[in-house]
Amino acid sequence: MKFAKYVGLRILTWALTIWIGVTFIFFVPRMFPSDPVENMIGRIQSRSGQMDPLEMESLRKSLRIQFGLEGSLLEQYVSFLKKGLLQFDFGPSLMSFPTPVGDIIKTYLPYTLGLMLMTTIFSWLIGNFIGLQAGFRKKQLSSKFLEGVAICIYPVPYFIVALVLQIVFAFLLGWFPLQSTIITMGGFVIFIKSLLRASILPGVSLLLVGTGWWIISMKSLSGTVAEEDFVLYARYRGLSEGRIGWSYVLRNSIITQVTALAMSLGGVFSGSIMTEIIFGYPGVGTLIQKAILQSDYNMILGCITISIVAIATATLIVDLIYPLIDPRIRYS
Amino acid sequence: MRRKVSAFLVLPLLILLVFTAVNTYAMTEVGTPRRETLIVETQTPTDVPGQFNSYMQGTQMGFGIHQLMSAMMWEMDTITGEQFGEVAAGAPESNEDFTEHIVRIREGIRWSDGEALNADDVVFTFNMIMSNPGIGPSAYYNAVFKSVEKVDDYTVLIKTVDSFPRLALRFGVTIWGNDLRIVPEHIYSQVADVTTFKDSDPVVAGPYIVKAFDSLGKWILYERREDWEYSTVGAVTGKMPQARYILVKYIGDDTTRQMAMVNNEVDILCEVTPEMVEVMTAMNPNIACWYKDFPYATSDDPCSKGISFQMAKEPYDNPDFRWGVTLAMNFDEISVNIFDGVGRASALPILTATAAMQELYYIPLLPWLEAFELDLGDGTTIQPFDTGYALRMAETLKAQGYDIPSDETALIDMFGIGCWKYAPDAAEKLFVKAGLEKRAEGWYFKDQPFTINMTYLADTEAQAGRGLIAAYDQLVKFGFNCNLASESSATWDSNAATGNYEIGGYWPTGGITRDLYAQISGWDANLIVPIGERGAGQGSRWNNAEATRIVQAMSVVSPDSDESYELGMEFMKVATADMPFLGFHSGVKFVPTNSTFWTNYPSAENPYNGPWWWWSCFKYITTEITAVD
Repeated sequence: MKFAKYVGLRILTWALTIWIGVTFIFFVPRMFPSDPVENMIGRIQSRSGQMDPLEMESLRKSLRIQFGLEGSLLEQYVSFLKKGLLQFDFGPSLMSFPTPVGDIIKTYLPYTLGLMLMTTIFSWLIGNFIGLQAGFRKKQLSSKFLEGVAICIYPVPYFIVALVLQIVFAFLLGWFPLQSTIITMGGFVIFIKSLLRASILPGVSLLLVGTGWWIISMKSLSGTVAEEDFVLYARYRGLSEGRIGWSYVLRNSIITQVTALAMSLGGVFSGSIMTEIIFGYPGVGTLIQKAILQSDYNMILGCITISIVAIATATLIVDLIYPLIDPRIRYS
Repeated sequence: MRRKVSAFLVLPLLILLVFTAVNTYAMTEVGTPRRETLIVETQTPTDVPGQFNSYMQGTQMGFGIHQLMSAMMWEMDTITGEQFGEVAAGAPESNEDFTEHIVRIREGIRWSDGEALNADDVVFTFNMIMSNPGIGPSAYYNAVFKSVEKVDDYTVLIKTVDSFPRLALRFGVTIWGNDLRIVPEHIYSQVADVTTFKDSDPVVAGPYIVKAFDSLGKWILYERREDWEYSTVGAVTGKMPQARYILVKYIGDDTTRQMAMVNNEVDILCEVTPEMVEVMTAMNPNIACWYKDFPYATSDDPCSKGISFQMAKEPYDNPDFRWGVTLAMNFDEISVNIFDGVGRASALPILTATAAMQELYYIPLLPWLEAFELDLGDGTTIQPFDTGYALRMAETLKAQGYDIPSDETALIDMFGIGCWKYAPDAAEKLFVKAGLEKRAEGWYFKDQPFTINMTYLADTEAQAGRGLIAAYDQLVKFGFNCNLASESSATWDSNAATGNYEIGGYWPTGGITRDLYAQISGWDANLIVPIGERGAGQGSRWNNAEATRIVQAMSVVSPDSDESYELGMEFMKVATADMPFLGFHSGVKFVPTNSTFWTNYPSAENPYNGPWWWWSCFKYITTEITAVD
């Protein structure tokens, strides 16, 4: 009974979080002093000079109907809840009309997920490993060195790290392309080869910056745990340092890190705009950026809704499996 | 063991290095020989790769689609500002009241699948647009055209609802391109819904076809048609486009664009800033712009930049106030602040001082401009036009060590015929005349402290943004309290339409043809709507009865007539007296090229075309750009 109540409450919180999030993201862009129809007309005018007044008026009416901006805000919201939230059908992209938002997101999301998941997981593993060493074996030279490197890299803004990598390895040495060119035509081998080549610099840049945080946080956690009475007691009992580190320090330090990992994994759906801009890596980050600049309501809704659902679901999963990781937490 | 592991790790790295090096110098990343591939930048990637149908709304035409494949009815000589027939064999032959137009179709053009392009395709395209409300301009076409019929295989009869003297100007290219692109009837007539037909393997009339494209939207590889002589370019010029392949590619942010250009990974970039030009030319001697050295840029982009007034608001609705702003600004300082003095002064409101427009309008108007007087409201007058700008700017730049010609004609071509005087005393009188009051603590209007709110577009258009910032500095120096804000494109266009600004860096300019109707038709006062509403006219809301009369008179005369030209001159005089838009410079564009693999780009030394790679005229440039031996 307690278990059912625990799960039910968590699922209710999950649903409520998603509803509040998407409602917010539905209304906020519509409060901007911007208009997708005017943006479209502005784009046409800026590239082709003047527009005949009669043409401007007829185009404005035509676009307003086609973009589905004719109904009241409430009608649009209800339609979104029905289609967008329940069926994940966000309608056509306004900046790439009439291509459905879902089709465009489907093209770019795998690249975002591939890069971000890999770098998030690897940075978590590497960072926690080094952080554990640094916190548990404080006096070792290697621990001090790795911690020092992490402390040096972590505060450097991401775009600086990315630019330095790009300038050194792509511009000066020419080992990698300045902009990611992924060859999607011509066979699987060519695709994989180009994907790997295009992903190395973006991946390394994200790893370098991402790992620093995990090292620092894990070092702090494991350092505190290493001073706990039960660790001292284990030492007095004569347990090996390896076993103390693995079974006593790591297990008790990792819980917070697992929560943070879950949140990070949920966040990967938003992409990494800086990586995409600097390395030209395909992804949803720049989709969101362009959608905001061009008032593409449907695209904003599509990308952010996926992100909201992902983060809320990751949190739900962590909530549900928490008692399994930490026996001190019960379903109550 | 350790040695084996090291070898295992190092060997693939070495192979990768060698492979990369070989690839860099011999082949492009899409597998074509670099020496046969012209690499051209596109300004934005596309989210709908593989979509080549220009009648499907999201298609990104600037990705080489309209530059290399589209068939336009009339194209443009961007140097002279004169149109010529592309699909059409010449200008339309209209009846006396311009309601019926015979259009002859050029013989000898074939689609890339071998079918002849003829009147069927033209008639089909017009009717397809008119019968599909999902095509953006459909409603407009229905309002303009009564019918479009085939007379014979190479003749089309177009009937318009009302008198329509500007058929070629409106439905042919005048600046960037045109929304009328002829499609193959034998393909598009088989499609159930042309507004959702992606046309991923397009049959085209242009000189290039799609060989491959990136499904992530970063590049499109075009290949020259084997039967190029039957393409539009082949039929019009008889010349073969030189590059076998053209790779149109999104390069990325400004830093990456510079590095790619310096590393010879791209041959042609779109617009950059002068600072970028200086960095790139210093690192790679093969990089140049319109001019090899200073001033680098061409001043022939037809969109002059300056400041727009919101004339539905007080005191911006008062010409004395607008003239006060004009004379409060030191144009020499503004020039230096924008692009270090580069650019041709474009003083006339609305009309851009391209080389052609300078000859056609500016120079003939010079005597009138020199005699033009403003009443300052205290019994004194001023003649505000300043013809000394070119000489002054040349001296300033010479003193900085730049190599500037001394010949007057060359100076006028470089810096223009003149600008408005810097006359702060006269400006002060004009502000007082407009109802403002100068007190010890600053300027007041209607007994309230007066503040000017100024906005500019943050994302793009360095020239417009820097111009507005320079104007802000001048007005602050004059003594006004000013606010300056940048806006993203999300709000910029909306504010333009609704009139939600006071002074903005908008550019309601643009035009390259002798007939000014397309440029000024939006200034008809009958199109003005209240602030907050979106109208069909210009967002500046300039209400001038004489200007409106001229616009309406011009709408019914032939664009080729002397009357049209005279009306254009009259309009410019009325606009100058009222100053609805203060122009700074004509469109100044820094468009770099790289001569490592390709040469003979259009330039000041060889101006066979304008450096407009993103316009549809680019296909006529491809016949001239030749491979470096």
